[in-house]
Amino acid sequence: MIKIHNLHKSFDGQQVLKGLDLNIQKGETIVIIGRSGCGKSVLLKHMIGLMDPDKGKVFVDNQNVADLRGKALDMLRMKFGMLFQGAALFDSLDVYGNVGFSLIEHTDMKKKQICDRVRQALESVDLTDVENKRPAELSGGMKKRVGLARAICNNPQIILYDEPTTGLDPIMADMINDLIVRLHKQLKVTSVVVTHDMTSAYKVGTKIAMLYDGRIIAQGPPEEIKNTKDPIVRQFITGAASGPITNNRNYNYK
Amino acid sequence: MHRRLLSPYTKFDKFVVYVGGLTMLFLRTITWAVRPPFKKKELLYQMKKTGVDSISIVFLTAFFTGIVLAFQSAYTMRQMSAEIYIASLVALSMTRELGPVLTALVVAARVGASITAEVGTMKVTEQIDALETMGTNPIKYLVVPRFLALAMMLPLLTIYADFVGMAGGLLVGVSKLHLAPTLYMKKTFDALVYKDLYTGLLKSVVFAGIISIVACYEGMRTRGGAEGVGKSTTLSVVISCVLVISFDCFFTALFYFMF
Repeated sequence: MIKIHNLHKSFDGQQVLKGLDLNIQKGETIVIIGRSGCGKSVLLKHMIGLMDPDKGKVFVDNQNVADLRGKALDMLRMKFGMLFQGAALFDSLDVYGNVGFSLIEHTDMKKKQICDRVRQALESVDLTDVENKRPAELSGGMKKRVGLARAICNNPQIILYDEPTTGLDPIMADMINDLIVRLHKQLKVTSVVVTHDMTSAYKVGTKIAMLYDGRIIAQGPPEEIKNTKDPIVRQFITGAASGPITNNRNYNYK
Repeated sequence: MHRRLLSPYTKFDKFVVYVGGLTMLFLRTITWAVRPPFKKKELLYQMKKTGVDSISIVFLTAFFTGIVLAFQSAYTMRQMSAEIYIASLVALSMTRELGPVLTALVVAARVGASITAEVGTMKVTEQIDALETMGTNPIKYLVVPRFLALAMMLPLLTIYADFVGMAGGLLVGVSKLHLAPTLYMKKTFDALVYKDLYTGLLKSVVFAGIISIVACYEGMRTRGGAEGVGKSTTLSVVISCVLVISFDCFFTALFYFMF
């Protein structure tokens, strides 16, 4: 469904992605783990065409994302739903306006139909009677759930989650994890989750991939990653302060 | 030092890139502005926010300017016993110059800053990315309504400022210089021709474009959280004000030679 080939990207002379390859199959939930600032969000933004690669290609349903412009790119983006790190709800709109945004902007649906869809989307993230609230009136966990409702409202085929549990208390984080698993089962979507929260990674992923030094250095089912012998992956998943990642900053992974 | 010499981007390059960016945003805004669907509700909301809500600050600025202008000119005119010409002086100065420029500067500070802060915050909190991921063009959704609203409201505010400024002059003329109100009004309108008004209004349409495009451009290139929003808001106001004054100089010279 998504194929990434030899992806390179740099910012102000600093190379973030250095020839990344990754295949994402239809229907799987892939969790991309890695340290903060290693380029996980940059990778997500390439998938949905918010950034253009310096080199390499990203294919979604066999279309090269960087080749698409205007309407064609918008059509491709409609296949996606994206949950942003800080939820990125529009401050000027209420919850109804946020969740129903795509339907209001891009369809001729009647207000009543949109209301129903918005209510359904909110119910699937366990929220009721918040349609008239402004984002500023919501707690962090509620914002994430409204963001998730917005991501699923136009029935996407692929959902991208950018650090879905960051900044939430452990209970709310686990509720979000449950939601991701439930939505995956209910909607049969392909999900890409970017996180550095290993509890979340083991819980939601059908596959885990580790991003280090601009490349994917390991990928496999959660059990396989849990029992890996690779010292870099081991250091990351156990959360050890000393190890190859921190001891040798120039550790080049071969 | 050697780093600066080796740097691929000089200040001139950055200036060219900046001007190019503003021009591209302006052209894209025009292209999106004529393409349906038109967002009337958002346009009306922006017209209220940029125009109606600026009425009081424009009133104060123009009224006091009118008063000051009358007093300052009275200082010289009195020596020549030509106080009656204060009416014409205030009327011409307000319509041709001070009305459009002062209104634009006040609006750049009030509305331009608010546009940059709003768009900049949307940028750093990924709301603009979110718009794009939902297949909505940020120029169509954010820039076009603000651009059109300001292009319609700034000329109206300018006309308002012209008249309020003349009223300020009238107040001084009647109360302190003891001129008859009817005579003052007559002198005011005798001095004015249509050209004075429409050259001023033409300027204000250009200023509106400058303020909205600079404000949105600065907002959209904001980086780095709250500090970034502060920086781009300051830059937006400074650049708009400098451009307003520079374009005013250019247009004044142009009109002087043309008409």
